[in-house]
Amino acid sequence: MIRFILARLAWGIPVLWLVATATFVLMHLVPGGPFDQEKPLPPEIRANVDAKYHLDQPVMMQYLFYLKDLLHGDLGPSYKYLGRNVNDIIRDTFPVSMQLGLWAVLISVIVGVGAGIVAAARPRSWADHAGMFLATAGISLPSFVVGTFLIMVFSYRLHFFPAALWEGWRYGMLPAVTLAMLPAAYIARLTRSSMLEVLHKDFIRTVRAKGFGERQVLLKHALKNSITPVVSFLGPLTATLVTGSFVVEFIFSIPGMGRYFITAVTNRDYPLIMGVTLVYAVLIVLANIVVDLIYTWIDPRMRVGGN
Amino acid sequence: MIHRNWIKWAVTIGLILALAVLFVRTSARVPPGPAEPTFRMTLSNEPPTLDWNLATDSVSFDVLINLMEGLTEYDEQLRPRPAVARSWEVSPDGRTYLFHLREDARWSDGKPVTAGDFEYSWKRLLNPQTAAEYAYFLYDIEGAEDYNTGKADRPDSVGVRALDDRTLQVRLRKPIVFFPSIVTFMVTFPMRRDIVEKFGERWTEPGPMVTDGPFVLDEWRHEYKLTLRPNPYYYGPRPALGKVVMFVVNETTTALTLYETGDLEMATLPPEAMATYRGKPKYFTAPLLRGYYYGFNVLKPPFTDPRIRRAFSMAIDRKEFPAILKRGEVPASFWLPPGMPYHNPAIGLPFDPEAARRLLAEAGYPAGRGFPTVTAAFNTSPENSLIAENLQAQWKRNLGVEVLLDNQEWKVYLKRLQTDPLPLFRLGWGADYPDPDNFLNLFTSTSGNNRTRWKNDRYDALIRSAAADPDSAHRQKAYDEAQRILLEKDVVIMPLFVATQNWVVKPYVRGLQINALELLILKNVRLERP
Repeated sequence: MIRFILARLAWGIPVLWLVATATFVLMHLVPGGPFDQEKPLPPEIRANVDAKYHLDQPVMMQYLFYLKDLLHGDLGPSYKYLGRNVNDIIRDTFPVSMQLGLWAVLISVIVGVGAGIVAAARPRSWADHAGMFLATAGISLPSFVVGTFLIMVFSYRLHFFPAALWEGWRYGMLPAVTLAMLPAAYIARLTRSSMLEVLHKDFIRTVRAKGFGERQVLLKHALKNSITPVVSFLGPLTATLVTGSFVVEFIFSIPGMGRYFITAVTNRDYPLIMGVTLVYAVLIVLANIVVDLIYTWIDPRMRVGGN
Repeated sequence: MIHRNWIKWAVTIGLILALAVLFVRTSARVPPGPAEPTFRMTLSNEPPTLDWNLATDSVSFDVLINLMEGLTEYDEQLRPRPAVARSWEVSPDGRTYLFHLREDARWSDGKPVTAGDFEYSWKRLLNPQTAAEYAYFLYDIEGAEDYNTGKADRPDSVGVRALDDRTLQVRLRKPIVFFPSIVTFMVTFPMRRDIVEKFGERWTEPGPMVTDGPFVLDEWRHEYKLTLRPNPYYYGPRPALGKVVMFVVNETTTALTLYETGDLEMATLPPEAMATYRGKPKYFTAPLLRGYYYGFNVLKPPFTDPRIRRAFSMAIDRKEFPAILKRGEVPASFWLPPGMPYHNPAIGLPFDPEAARRLLAEAGYPAGRGFPTVTAAFNTSPENSLIAENLQAQWKRNLGVEVLLDNQEWKVYLKRLQTDPLPLFRLGWGADYPDPDNFLNLFTSTSGNNRTRWKNDRYDALIRSAAADPDSAHRQKAYDEAQRILLEKDVVIMPLFVATQNWVVKPYVRGLQINALELLILKNVRLERP
C-alpha cells in the first residue's frame, strides 16, 4: 500500500511540471502583459518595472527563474498586489475556499446520494420524477442564478441568512448550498442510474430471496456496489470545490481563492496564475490518489498486488 | 468484516469532527454588534497596495485619502488648500516653491511630520529601484526624470530638499502654476524612512504602518475587509466615527443587497437599480472627472482627412448615451469635464447630420457611397458594446456608412493600441488631480498616452505655455483654443459623455464628502441615528 502511494506521488511530479510548463507557455502567448494599462507607463518607468520583475529577460530565462523558485517552494511576488507573495495570497484565501468547498462536498453527497437512492428505490414514482426534475434543474441552472435566487428568498425576504460576507457559519450556508447544487444533482443522477443497474443483478435477487428487508437490500447491498462511479466523481469534484468558485465568491463576497482563477488572468498576474493553477493541479493529483485508495477499500477486487 | 467496519466508522467520525472544527472556528469569528459609531462601505476590489508611492488605482486611493494627508488637499471646488503645508510661496520666476509645514502635524505614533519625510518619499518615488509607475508625476522637478531613468545615479541632484524640519524647498525645471494641485496626489504624500526600512515590503500592514491623516489602519483581512480607526495624533478635529469598515465587494448588486439588509451605510448603485432609487432623498449623483471618447488614428485612411473625422463627430447625437446607459451620464462634445477648472461647455462640434453628410460628400463619399469599411474597436464590456452598437447605428443612419465593431479583452486591446492603434478606437481618461493639464497634456506630441498619432505644434505650445501662466484669464484662453484645435478643427477625438457616480447613503449619515474624483472623504462623517 505504501509503495503504491509513493509511486503515485512520484508520478505526480512530472504531471505538475507539465502543468506548470503548459500554463507558463500559454500565459505568455496571450497578448498584453501585467503592466499594460489605460494610462500607459513612460518607457523609462516601464523599464524600471520590467527589471524589477525580471520581465526584461528572455522568456526562457524567466521560465528557468520560475522553476528554480518553485523548487524552493517560492511562488514569487504578485504583480498586482504589490508587496505580497503568491504564497501569502494562497495562505490567506485557500483555507476559506477549502472550508466552503468541504461543506459543499458534504451537502452534495448527502443530498445527491439520498435523492439517488430514493429515486432508484421507486423508479417512475412521483418521488423519482420530482428528484430527477430537481437534478436536471440543478445541472442546468448556472450558479449566479441559484445564488441570486437564494439571496432574494433567504436573506432579502425571510432574513434567515446574511446576503453576503464572511463573518461566521451563517454566512457560509447560502454559498455552500449554491456550490453544492450542481454536484448534488449530478451525484443524484449517477447514484440513481448505477443503483438501478445493480438492483437488476442476480445477487440482489438472491439477497431478496433470503428474506432481507428492502431497506437492507438498498442501503447495505445495492448502495455499496453502486457507489463506485460516485466515488470517482468525488475526487476531482472535491479538488474543484475546495479551490473555490469565481462566481460564488463574487456574488457572496467571500475572500476565497476561486476569484483568482479569473482575475489573475485578466490582470496577467503571471505568478498568481501559476500559483493557483499549481494548487489546483496538486489537489487533483492528491484527490485521484485518495479515490484509488477508496476504491480498494470499497471493492477488494481492485486491490493492488492482488491481495 | 468487523475490522473494516471499525475503519469506516473511524473515518466517518473523523470527517464529521474535522468539519465541526472548521464550523466552530468560523462561528467564533462573529463580530460583536456595532457599539461604537461604525461606518460600513465597500471597495470594488482588494486594494493592490497601500504603499502610496506605488499605488496607481482608485481603490487604493479610496483607503489612502482617509489615512494620509499631503502638503495640500482639495477644497469643495477641487482647488488645492493647505493641509500639512500651512502655506507656500513661489519664487518670481515660478520655478521654486517653498512649503511651510504645520507645527502640529503628527504621525499616528506621535512623531512630528517633517519636511524630511517628504524629501524621503519623493526620492523614493523617483528611485528606479522602487519601480513606481507614477514616478513621472514629479518629472517637472529638476533632476527628477534623470534620476528616475538612470541618467543620474544619485538622488542629490533631484530638486527637493528639506531646508529644516518645517520647510520644504522644491525646484522645478520649468514654471508650473498648478504644482500645489499635483501635491494633492497620493504618490507625493510624506513617508517614514525608519518604518519602510525596518519593515520592508510589509510596512503597509496594520501595526507597522504609520500615517498622518484622520484615520489609521487597524485591520486588513486581505481580499475581505479593512478597518480604520481615528488617529489619536491627528492635528485636526478627531473624527466622530469610532470605526470605518471597508468590505471588498466586487459585485455592485451584492453591495446594494447588503445596503438594503442594513449591513452597509452606503453603496454604489448598479445601472439596473437606478430607476428604483432616482429621486429618493438618500440617492446621490454627481459627475466625475472622467471622460469617455472615441479617438482616430489620424495616420490611417480614411481618417487622414479631417473632413471625414469632423463628419463622424457631427453625426453623433450624444444625448442618446444617458438614455441607453441610464446612469445620468452627461453628454459631452467638450473634453474638459464639468467641475474641472477652465471647463467650457460651449466647445465641441454640435450634432448636425446635415452638415456631417455635406462634409462626407466633400470628401468624396456622397451619402456614404464608396466609403471603405472601417472598424471601431473597443475593449470587451457590456457598457462598451451598448455604446459601440449605438454609434454604429447612428453612423449608418446619419452618414450612410457601415462601421464594423471589434472588441477585445482589455489587456489584449491595450497591447493593440500600443503597437498598432486601429483607425477608430475607444478609450477613457480619469483625472489624477483636478487641473486641465492632466486632461489636455494627453494629446501633446510627446505624451505616451496619445494613441492618435496626431502631432500639432500649436497645440503643444498652448499646453506648455498655459502650464506656466499664473494668469487664469490667459490659461482659460489657451485651454479654449487647445480644445478647439483638438475637437473642432483637427477633430482628433470624439468625446461622448462624462461618467457619473451614483450612490445610496443611509439617511442618518451626515457630513459625507463625495467629490468628482470619486474619493470618499470620511473625516467629517457623523451618524445621527434616530
